[in-house]
Amino acid sequence: MKIEMKVLFTAAVIGAFSLSGCASTMQYGDAGSAKPLSTEFGSSDLQQIAETMVDSMITFPPMVEMTTSRRPVVSVDKVKNKTMQHIDTESVTDSIRTKLIRSGKFRFIDRTTDAQTVEELKTQHDSGLVDKKTAVDFGQQIGAEFLLTSNFSEIRQKAGSTTDVYYKFTMSLKNLKTGILEWSDEKEIRKVFKRGTFGG
Amino acid sequence: MKQSRNVIVGGIAAVAVIASLGLAGCSTTAGVEATGKTTWDEQGARSLEKNVVFNNSGLKGDIQIVDVKSVQAGDIMRAQATLRSKDRETLPFQYRFDWYDGGGLEINSGAGSWKPLILYGRESKTIQSVAPDPRAKEFKLKIREPD
Repeated sequence: MKIEMKVLFTAAVIGAFSLSGCASTMQYGDAGSAKPLSTEFGSSDLQQIAETMVDSMITFPPMVEMTTSRRPVVSVDKVKNKTMQHIDTESVTDSIRTKLIRSGKFRFIDRTTDAQTVEELKTQHDSGLVDKKTAVDFGQQIGAEFLLTSNFSEIRQKAGSTTDVYYKFTMSLKNLKTGILEWSDEKEIRKVFKRGTFGG
Repeated sequence: MKQSRNVIVGGIAAVAVIASLGLAGCSTTAGVEATGKTTWDEQGARSLEKNVVFNNSGLKGDIQIVDVKSVQAGDIMRAQATLRSKDRETLPFQYRFDWYDGGGLEINSGAGSWKPLILYGRESKTIQSVAPDPRAKEFKLKIREPD
């Protein structure tokens, strides 16, 4: 009887040690990790969306043709977030814009920094500090030829212990002169969470 | 006496099971690597040098890289790999493409992200990627089990 107790105790101790290898640690993670933690919108979802959109846009044949001789100027519209979640959608469009700029195929206008631009130009003209010959004149900026618009929606279903969330991100490139959508694509993501019998 | 021996054996088995569970929770997986490198012959014809390395015997039993190919979209390189599941079960994987320039230096080093991939039993599927910019001449596809 005594031996039995000892064996069980040893088993419990060793078992606890082997498990404690995974308990409470702090470390750097992989920023490109695709491990889903919940059905909420996560970093991997953002990366998948950005990459799919950029890959699709720069390889779409009419876009390839258009960007061989020139780099069109594009403006990015705010994402229409129709999901139930609060998502920093600007972060999604920032990733897309960064990748497009780095591809060397497109140039962008950033309307979010216009106030600072105006302030800087005013200083250049009015403060008396700047040489008039080098001061940048108002009204010299290039107008965008295209507008990048996007829609983000989700369909959430829950049945028993299963939560199923479907995300759809749709993006289009609108020609501002003609109003024609020159390119469009969508990325779908499905995340399924099954609640286990134990734990939350 | 016989009973206590049974308990000892049972205890050892329990230790082994718990330990293996505990370790499995923390295991990292090495994976499969497939590389494709653009080369040009004397006539200027483009071809792709391919190489596939399996670093994980478990994965080798689950998945097969059937084909690796690449085309140009304008001056941007595109890559595609065809994978086939050798298993009857639905298996989850992760993959990523890393891109290198003509000199073998990685473009946007470390910026890539893993993407989920689900292969149904015995299914074959293609995965694609597009180079981040026109410098890319070589790619490396990595596949691993989910972390």
